[in-house]
Amino acid sequence: MSLEQSVEALRYLGLFSSLDASSVMSTAAHALHPEDRVAAARTLMREKSISGVPIVDADFRLVGLISVSKIIEALADGRLADSVDSVMTRHVIVLHLHDTFEEILSCFERFKFGRFPVIEEDGKLVGMITDTDVLSAIIRSFYSVYVHDQRRTMTLGSFSALSKEFENSADFVHDISSTGLENAGEGSARLKAFLQGKGFGESVVRRASVCAYEAEINVCIHAGGQGSLRAIARDGEIIVRVEDKGPGIENIDLAMKEGWSTATDAIRELGFGAGMGLPNIRRFSDHLVIISGKDKPTKVEMIFLADKE
Amino acid sequence: MKLSEVLEITGATCIAGERLEDIEVNHAFASDLMSDVLAMSRPDTLLITGLTTPQIIRTAQMLDLPAILVVRGKNVPRDVTDLARATGIVLLSTHDIMYVASGKLYARGLSG
Repeated sequence: MSLEQSVEALRYLGLFSSLDASSVMSTAAHALHPEDRVAAARTLMREKSISGVPIVDADFRLVGLISVSKIIEALADGRLADSVDSVMTRHVIVLHLHDTFEEILSCFERFKFGRFPVIEEDGKLVGMITDTDVLSAIIRSFYSVYVHDQRRTMTLGSFSALSKEFENSADFVHDISSTGLENAGEGSARLKAFLQGKGFGESVVRRASVCAYEAEINVCIHAGGQGSLRAIARDGEIIVRVEDKGPGIENIDLAMKEGWSTATDAIRELGFGAGMGLPNIRRFSDHLVIISGKDKPTKVEMIFLADKE
Repeated sequence: MKLSEVLEITGATCIAGERLEDIEVNHAFASDLMSDVLAMSRPDTLLITGLTTPQIIRTAQMLDLPAILVVRGKNVPRDVTDLARATGIVLLSTHDIMYVASGKLYARGLSG
């Protein structure tokens, strides 16, 4: 598989859409100044086991990079006592704080370097990204994904975390916009009528409606009541996607536990917030994917199969 | 059990809906936690609750519950009775506390 195909596959998975350079990079970057000796760069690389050192000016703006190969050249020429300024690379390929995960990957593919400095808009160095950082970010992403599948037929080849169809259109769209819980349930009630109109059976409609309602309540309780409820209904299958803009679920495994909730007492007095929302959704859906994270949007996708009845 | 019998047994009044003698419930579920109610998912059930928020109607609507019995004689806000009428859900109100209303109905054969 070429990297281009891999990047396409990643986009399809939808897992890494919330990753950018700021969340991938290591912030503890070691840097030197142009007037430092090449010998100092060599010592730093050996002590910290790194293959390149960014060079910054007094304001921490990136001015160059010195790599292992430059050190070897300097060693051969007997220039270890010279300033790094005289041997460093000045045209450094950099990443910016908000570059997407795909941009980061294609940078690694295109330039074959082991590390890239990350800079802010004013050129200041804020971190470094190595291939290890990329790998760590991928592994961290899996901790923010929850997948539950009744069908147990998932194979890696055909697996996709989120349905691609929603990128283009949906059969049903409802914008969730609610202050408090007052309007919570409007979207689910509309969805229920829509599914009944499509001729789906009573039981699958009930399961889909209950789950959509719990997810809608969650948007109202946890995400300031702003989000969307969409559905695709075709070929005996109902796919429901509920999205919000954050603040996200810090620990999805905990949120899936019955009785675990971060809701306030005021919410509990209204009959919700008892930590049953997501467990209920898992109980009634045939396939469930949740993608979230601390300070990230939350996407909940549920699939209901009509032929189960 | 017909809703008209529920009305008689608990001394309730009907605050939304009509034709109670035509609507039948075979089970009842008593709770103030709507997520617990949603976990049950059985259509021909009477919901007994002390809550009076619009969410009791939405919950009943999602589950296809025909009726709700509000206990402790609570005043039900206008928007809630309006929503009940709009969605075709019967709303009854009794002065009994949840335990007493549940006990009376259970004793007369309405199972859980």
